Amino acid sequence: MVWSATTQGRALVARPNGRIDERNWQVFSDSLVAAIETARVAGLVLVVDLGTIDYMSSRGLRSLSTALAAAKTASVAMVLAAPGEAMREILAISRYDKLFRVYDSVAAAMEHGAA
Amino acid sequence: MLVRFWGTRGSLPVAARAEAVRGKLVAALLAASGRTFDDAAAAEAFLDGNLDFAGRAGYGGATSCVEIDAGDGNFIVCDMGSGLREFGISAMARAAAGHKRRYHFFLSHLHWDHIMGFPFFVPAFDPDATIVIHSGHADAETALRRQQEDISFPVAFDWLRARIEFVTLVPGEYYDIGGTRVSIVEQFHSHLSYGFRFDTGGKSVIYSTDSEHKAENMAAEARFEAFFDSADFVVCDTMYSLADAMSLKADWGHSSPPVVIDLCRAAGAKRLALFHHEPAYDDAQILAMHRDAISYERLTRGDAPALDVICAYDGLEVSV
Repeated sequence: MVWSATTQGRALVARPNGRIDERNWQVFSDSLVAAIETARVAGLVLVVDLGTIDYMSSRGLRSLSTALAAAKTASVAMVLAAPGEAMREILAISRYDKLFRVYDSVAAAMEHGAA
Repeated sequence: MLVRFWGTRGSLPVAARAEAVRGKLVAALLAASGRTFDDAAAAEAFLDGNLDFAGRAGYGGATSCVEIDAGDGNFIVCDMGSGLREFGISAMARAAAGHKRRYHFFLSHLHWDHIMGFPFFVPAFDPDATIVIHSGHADAETALRRQQEDISFPVAFDWLRARIEFVTLVPGEYYDIGGTRVSIVEQFHSHLSYGFRFDTGGKSVIYSTDSEHKAENMAAEARFEAFFDSADFVVCDTMYSLADAMSLKADWGHSSPPVVIDLCRAAGAKRLALFHHEPAYDDAQILAMHRDAISYERLTRGDAPALDVICAYDGLEVSV
């Protein structure tokens, strides 16, 4: 997994890519924690762009929900964006599409979630 | 080994209501509209070929009870949920046909849904039977005696005729019981629970129910990966969706299909049975959960070997 994060308008857009599974979930989790802190300090919404994720196992998903709880505590809005076909199915199977606001694109997240 | 599922439901026994049975009959009649069947076999073949499992059968509603037939003539039974009553009837018939009257029970924990079948376990009244109850809990005898106190049940524990022994097992130790090598693992659940591993003849079966794997401590799951290592068959609690297990039902002590699929894959296990079904689910919802689990396994498999994901139901037999 490679992680990058850039500020776009009022949002911090995080872009993990590749597979997130038992081999790299800790890096993913640590990166989410750092991004929440960056977003909190700068007053930004955190948009996690899932567009280049191949798949995410339960450890990645659980890292996401742990991060969501931390984001709420830090008063940071956190949304998911641009899931591909596999990630969209994984979010539905795990019912994470009920836990998170999920947007079809980063632009849509910026427009609705980050507005 | 042969694994027989006598009870697969979590928390509370359930039974299909009249309207649920009627709905299945209506759907089956509509599917068969205009057809005739020469005999029962032809009708059964039609059901198998045209209706899904929820439509042609059902998962049952008895709580946790799983028999492991290791082939050495002892009975091995995990948990004493309401499914134990049916097992007891079957065991009495087998004992009458010459089966040894020695029963080894393994209790995951002492919550009501896992012990409620024992007052209805007919072999407990057999003076020629020996019942050995193994548990990681030192208070197993207290729990079983308490549910047969006068305020709860009319037949006192001391009126039972079988010879009954209690044995406390310890994680990290290995025990030769009923022709198998047994080990246990401590699990996260209210008042703790324990998973069991049975090895014999080069085959291994895991029984791991009522076990929550906490997001705050995912690194600790290496302990379960080691316990499940290369298992041929794993029976796991998959009561909730991952989202529910992480939110509304966090700390309720149960797991989800994605978490246990990942554990089995990391352990190199070969086959997984989804188990301890949510009592609020009807058959269609359990079938959907099973299909979702199969999809999750496929989507997240990567370059790992495929894991066979089946869904336990009352009456299922699995050869290991």
